[in-house]
Amino acid sequence: MNTTEFIQLILRDAALAAVAAIGFAVISNPSRKAVAVSALLAAIGHGLRFALIHSLKLDISLATFVAASCIGLLSILFARIIHCPAEVFSFPSLLPMIPGLFAYRTILGLIKFMRTADVVKSEGFMLDFVHNGLTTMFILFALVVGVSLPVLFFPKTSFSVTRKY
Amino acid sequence: MTQRSIQKEPNIQEIADLLTDIAAELMTTGAHTMRIIQNISRMASTFGYYIELSVFQLSIMMTITSKENSTERLTLIKKTRPLALNFTIVSDLSALSWDTFDKNLTYDKIKQRYHDIVTRKRMSRWLVLFLVGCANAAFCALFKGDLYAIGLVFFATLFGFFCRQEMVKKHINHLIVFTTSAFIASLLAGLGYVFQLGTTPEIALASSVLFLIPGVPLINSILDIIEGHVLTGIARLVNASSLIVCIALGLFVSMLILGLEKL
Repeated sequence: MNTTEFIQLILRDAALAAVAAIGFAVISNPSRKAVAVSALLAAIGHGLRFALIHSLKLDISLATFVAASCIGLLSILFARIIHCPAEVFSFPSLLPMIPGLFAYRTILGLIKFMRTADVVKSEGFMLDFVHNGLTTMFILFALVVGVSLPVLFFPKTSFSVTRKY
Repeated sequence: MTQRSIQKEPNIQEIADLLTDIAAELMTTGAHTMRIIQNISRMASTFGYYIELSVFQLSIMMTITSKENSTERLTLIKKTRPLALNFTIVSDLSALSWDTFDKNLTYDKIKQRYHDIVTRKRMSRWLVLFLVGCANAAFCALFKGDLYAIGLVFFATLFGFFCRQEMVKKHINHLIVFTTSAFIASLLAGLGYVFQLGTTPEIALASSVLFLIPGVPLINSILDIIEGHVLTGIARLVNASSLIVCIALGLFVSMLILGLEKL
């Protein structure tokens, strides 16, 4: 894969993530500025994760952790700019990284395991279940811990962004 | 900061009522515990009181004490309404608490602004419906679903989310709301299997229910636990997990109907 193609793929990924973030942001009814920022952050975060996974061959949960901390840091910066609590736009911008496909495969593996009598097959299903379940869990933890790290490092800043002086 | 004139006109009951109302509103609209406590303490200190606040899933408990005369104190318990995320209210109430602190707003002014903030209209539900549909379709595309899968997910999400909006309006138990919406959305997306549409019906089925994932409660719960409000955090976590179990249940039922042999 050459560089221009790779950059195109990253941009496509980022654009889709932005659309997803807008949709998930409006469920929690934020202000319009916050929706725009969460789309931007989601694009940066998801694009970064895509780039990390495909260029450095990073593990998906580790890449998620890096991307989530990046979103967390940027969200505090933007929070200061538009005077709005950081979590208002950092939460929706994480949602495109929710491991939906892994979660689905976990459930599928579990159901198949429950319904099969064949011992050899059921071992395979159990393996699927454990592998996908663990991946889901680790990605979720990486997301949440990654995004809350900056809040822990800069507690003063993150609680005073809505102050206008 | 120059010397602030401490306002004492409204009595302790009025202030306590207003503060518990604001705290309950913050809890309902999805702020995490630390933010609630910070905002409320900030406002109380403007009026010359300090507060102790316990936040639970269904109620908040507050003791408010006068800084000058510690015999003047009051404890209130206020029920919170069920979770209805609204981040505009969270950020406006946070701004209001800082304005109270910095500009020394009067009691009446705060009450007026609080009333304005909570009665502001939400974004149109049809726009939200459309955007959520687009979002889930984009989600499907992120998982490398083909065009058939993306279209299916878009319509499945529209129906699923519409059902959720209607059921929420009728105040049906939220566990049932989540199960039913997940069932409807995944059943529609599963039509890709039945009619052999495209090459990635699996991805359509998997991403059709993702619009229901309770992301904000999940993140709030971990934030609460990290910041030491373990009990509230666990309560939120259990709530969010039970919603996820409900989503899985809805998905499970439609997978049984579609026939697992094909999946």
